[in-house]
Amino acid sequence: MSGRVEIQDLSISFHGRGGATQALAPTNLTLEPGTFTALIGPSGCGKSTILNAVAGFIAPTAGKILIDGKRIGGPNPGVGVIFQQYALFPWLTALSNVKFALKRLSLPKGEMESRAMDCLAEVGLADAGGKYPGQLSGGMKQRVAIARTLAGEPGVLLMDEPFGALDAQTRLSMHELLLRIWDRRKATILFVTHDVDEALALADIVHVMASAPGRVIATHVLDAPRPRAASKFDTTFPGLRESILGLLRPAVSTQ
Amino acid sequence: MPGPAAVFAGSRDSWVARALEPLTPLLSFAMVLAVWSLVCLSGIVSDSVFPPPWQAWEAAVELYQTGVLASDFAASISRAAIGFAIGATLGIATGLLTGRTALFSLLLNPFLRVMRPIPAIALVPVAIVWFGIGEGSKYFLISYTVFLTVWFNTHHGMEYVPDIYIRASRCLGAPRWREFCTVTIPAAAPHILGGIRLGVALALLSLVAAELSGATSGIGYRLQEARQYIRTDRMFALLIELGLLGAGLDWIVNQIGRRIVHWEQA
Repeated sequence: MSGRVEIQDLSISFHGRGGATQALAPTNLTLEPGTFTALIGPSGCGKSTILNAVAGFIAPTAGKILIDGKRIGGPNPGVGVIFQQYALFPWLTALSNVKFALKRLSLPKGEMESRAMDCLAEVGLADAGGKYPGQLSGGMKQRVAIARTLAGEPGVLLMDEPFGALDAQTRLSMHELLLRIWDRRKATILFVTHDVDEALALADIVHVMASAPGRVIATHVLDAPRPRAASKFDTTFPGLRESILGLLRPAVSTQ
Repeated sequence: MPGPAAVFAGSRDSWVARALEPLTPLLSFAMVLAVWSLVCLSGIVSDSVFPPPWQAWEAAVELYQTGVLASDFAASISRAAIGFAIGATLGIATGLLTGRTALFSLLLNPFLRVMRPIPAIALVPVAIVWFGIGEGSKYFLISYTVFLTVWFNTHHGMEYVPDIYIRASRCLGAPRWREFCTVTIPAAAPHILGGIRLGVALALLSLVAAELSGATSGIGYRLQEARQYIRTDRMFALLIELGLLGAGLDWIVNQIGRRIVHWEQA
């Protein structure tokens, strides 16, 4: 199985007006193939920085990232990214957005069409192929974005607060959808969030991060079976929710 | 989205506004005509200095009957069209090249800041020396002003394509040329069309500047001719013709633009 992500001594600094700021202190993480890892922390803790580095959007200041043993040199279709702002192309229909990801496979026209339709059907939007993103709700946009990313069959899926802009109800149905798709495709998922309940509901492993400089301060393995109801977190993970919230709280109050 | 306050503030006389809405252009013109007529009828100014609407209308009819209206219109619009086509094509092409190159962006902005304020009419002497008083100098003047504006807007649009589209495109495995054609250009299209709309307005502006000196046909030339005979009624007719022409062209470009960048509507 592929999709193994190794983050080795990764540190990242940004150069601003006041000199260099360390966004991420040297960090080591390994994501086993097919696992679901959540990064949780206050803003400025470097959780999105890690994700952007794995995506190949920003270069490491030191250290390296390996995917299936190969060093990352930039964005590549083996690593799919789901953005909080969806990043759908508004000038293309939902179906054409999905087809955009299939273009590189140079499939025959009919097969490309049917594979794009299948991907939309997988996220429950078989009927919305002809709609433009502007005609879709936030939840539907994110489902199209998921379909588009999955069409390229990436071994690693990076999600940067993907459901942060959605209402609570929609977010819950997106969690179900994501777990269903993940169960079928078994990609390695790296999921960035600031919502403890979201991390507890979805992940195999939760890394709690702190800021100034960004670093991992705690790691929890969640081996309870899914689906996990938020109302039962106290019995499924005794004390864990409070413990993570406690770690996040001082960081929030010092902002 | 309008807040509750906006809804309440508007609701007081909204039914009046709604009933009148389709008629507003007509009402607006009727009001201006009424004020114009009243001023002339009051006798404050002489008819030969400030002609009433009916004299301007008669002048327009006269221009139409002698065939001058149509031939001037044809001469002016073909100059504007050719100059615009050259300027817009070069402007878009240059903007597409410079907008995504950091070096160009750095070098370009100071240059544009100096070039853009130069009004078209100031370039007429240079244009005449370079291209003579024939059609060449008109095409040059119009295409130059259109080029500068369309280039500037295209360049800006390309420069500020949201990073997230580029990131999405790259992690979906699109090669650079596909990214350029199917992501960067569409993302910049609203800016480019904005430039084209400005370019149409500027084409008309520089057209008249070019025709006011050294032309033997066109609306601008006819204005100049009217000055020599002190025919203010003709001047008014011609000015209205220019206004209608500009508004008409802007409407057409806007309609086409809305179809092309259909996703930009609120």
